[in-house]
Amino acid sequence: MSGWVRLLSSLRLAIILLFLIILLSIIGTIIPQGEALSFYQEHFPATSRLIAFLGLDHLYRSPVFLSLVFLFLLNLLLCSFHQFLGKISRLRSWTKLSGDSSEEENEIKIKLKPSEDHQTRAEAIIIALKKKKYHLKTRTENERKIILARKGYPGLFGPEIVHLGLIIIIIGGLLSALFTYRTSLALLEGESITVPEKNFSLQLNKFLTEYYPDGSVKSWKSLISVIEDHQPSAKAAVEVNRPFKYKGLNIYQISYGQDWDRTAVELEIKTEDMPMRKIILAAGQTTKINSDLRIRVSNFVPDFQVDSSGQIISRSAEANNPAALVEIQSDNQTIFSGWVFYFYPDFTRFQRKTRPGVTVFLKSFTAPVFSVLEISSDPGSNLVWAGSIFMMLGLIGSFYFKYRELRIIIDSSGRVSLRPYARQNRLGLINEIKKLEEDLNLSKFQPGS
Amino acid sequence: MEETTYLLLAFLTYIVVMLSGFFSFFSQRKIFIRAYHLLSFLGLGFHSFSLIIRTFNSGHAPFTNMYESINFLAWACVLAVIIFERIFKLEKIGPYLWLLIVALMALISSPALPKNVTPLVPALQSYWLWLHVSVTLLGEAFLALAFVSSLFYLSASSRHKADPQNEKKKQKYDLIAYQAVAVGFPLFTLGALIFGMIWANKAWGRYWGWDPKEVWSLITWLFYAVYLHTRLVLGWSGKKSALIAIIGFLAALFTFFGVNYLLRGLHSYA
Ligand code: HEM
Repeated sequence: MSGWVRLLSSLRLAIILLFLIILLSIIGTIIPQGEALSFYQEHFPATSRLIAFLGLDHLYRSPVFLSLVFLFLLNLLLCSFHQFLGKISRLRSWTKLSGDSSEEENEIKIKLKPSEDHQTRAEAIIIALKKKKYHLKTRTENERKIILARKGYPGLFGPEIVHLGLIIIIIGGLLSALFTYRTSLALLEGESITVPEKNFSLQLNKFLTEYYPDGSVKSWKSLISVIEDHQPSAKAAVEVNRPFKYKGLNIYQISYGQDWDRTAVELEIKTEDMPMRKIILAAGQTTKINSDLRIRVSNFVPDFQVDSSGQIISRSAEANNPAALVEIQSDNQTIFSGWVFYFYPDFTRFQRKTRPGVTVFLKSFTAPVFSVLEISSDPGSNLVWAGSIFMMLGLIGSFYFKYRELRIIIDSSGRVSLRPYARQNRLGLINEIKKLEEDLNLSKFQPGS
Repeated sequence: MEETTYLLLAFLTYIVVMLSGFFSFFSQRKIFIRAYHLLSFLGLGFHSFSLIIRTFNSGHAPFTNMYESINFLAWACVLAVIIFERIFKLEKIGPYLWLLIVALMALISSPALPKNVTPLVPALQSYWLWLHVSVTLLGEAFLALAFVSSLFYLSASSRHKADPQNEKKKQKYDLIAYQAVAVGFPLFTLGALIFGMIWANKAWGRYWGWDPKEVWSLITWLFYAVYLHTRLVLGWSGKKSALIAIIGFLAALFTFFGVNYLLRGLHSYA
């Protein structure tokens, strides 16, 4: 191998890359991601230029991070390939000790008792190994009998399977990053919208919020129809955690809300010379109550608040403090103008009441509900699932199948030498050999030559 | 009886287990060892009952908030310790692991963690909640075991240097740490990363979004990958290995606690 390839496939490089990836990942959880430049200038004044230069505001898609991941992928590919070839040649070889010189040191030489004939000895060894579930191959060459005993193959290739799984996952991730289609639609009940770049549209038939007895939300559910060529082609209920699959796209329940700009309010109005009247009208709309009075709801907010500059705002999109701005005119003269509150009927803000005895109550309000659906397809995800399966199989192989290999060479003078190899847990193998010796009642073994 | 009664019984039993473990260091009397082994099963039984009752009462998995998660983690640690005690004989490490369990039990008894059963928000209503959290926490229990064993390694290697008895102990601590990682790492991979990705894909429409909790799980996982490779391929063991196992577990702890309180993200309910 040339120097470059050796460096690129080395584990030392892998460790360095892993540490760098860890370091950058940590930085990415400390610096909030995806904010505007001004945010960093405000919160990280000293380093905001560095953040912008290195792309730390979108760190996980930055060239620095992606090149590290790419280098890691290359490293993993080369390293695993190299390992794999080594293991294949190990499986093919009869006598070869691997290039690993430590293996030679592991060689164990056993002396037979002089009285024993080596054919019987070999048979005894074979029977003992079979009992230990070893797969055996035997061969005689140059008067030497070679017994090749192995077991636990998944343990030999476990790491390569883990690495393969990881490679597939990373490739899947890259595909996802490049080719994911994702869009979201906010649909009012009854509305239908064409999905961008697709030849069908989604219609929201009904949006449901289900509650637990204690009032907390149990589920959000959109009943939708898919409309293709002006024909409904599918119906589905989309819920949180229960996406709907359609033509390779997944449709998710992401969010919901109420369109407060289109609130319809119900008001109760009384004046000195008019008994109580109930009217319903939409925000922004004006109606005539009688020949004299005209009423207008010029604004509605669900969560009334006055901000520091005196502006009326809605603190949230929830109906925590609903209020309507109501104006009543008589002969083009405003006789009432003010905010009326749903929860505080006796309190009216910014009143201009030129005619006494006018009262206005906000009795109820309804805003159309919209549901936000996300439509996405991700060509990388199946690779990620496939890679995950490989990874788990490989992990089980690596940790729970112990690959063990024994090469037993009996030469014509009756000397037996044992060459053991274990991918990991060498200690366990040595113990197994000791046991074997005891079972076979062999004379004491001597490690080394 | 009630969930809390069984939980209290478990807590008390664990304390007795821990104490008999410590007493057995000083006393040759068999009764302490006996109590240590038998009562650990009894405690696990009480604890399991308590979790089952809570599950029936709430109608959902017993790990949907901080209190429940730590409670389940404690249970998983008990399971891991019992298994390792049987297979490897933890000796000195055992009682200290029980100390950790007792500490976790004390933590969940504290009033700072709200214990009431709350209905599941829609995002958590999925059987992936069961798979994702239980497997992850079980994995973390084994990583906790590796953590304690590694601490023992470090403390043994800072004391009386070239004593063969001590060397043997150190080897054992090192081996137990590795064996615990060999169980914890695959479980963590499956529970935290793979099941996490599957669930995220179901709930949020993407399997990976670089959310701080996701990133910290990945960081934890990468530390343990470094641990495995430096051992197996570079032949590291002992001190350096122990340090990596310790840092790895600290990263796991940060993923569990720190991310919720210090960083912002989607996982804020867990
Ligand atoms: C996060 C990424 C990685 C994971 C999760 C991973 C996982 C594993 C696992 C589980 C094992 C078996 C460990 C054991 O039996 O104790 C292993 C072994 C190994 N890994 Fe990795 N690996 C990763 C990255 C890498 C990289 C980048 C390289 C090389 C540059 C590499 C090289 C090796 C080697 C040489 C072995 C030993 C193989 C053998 O024993 O035959 N790994 N890996």
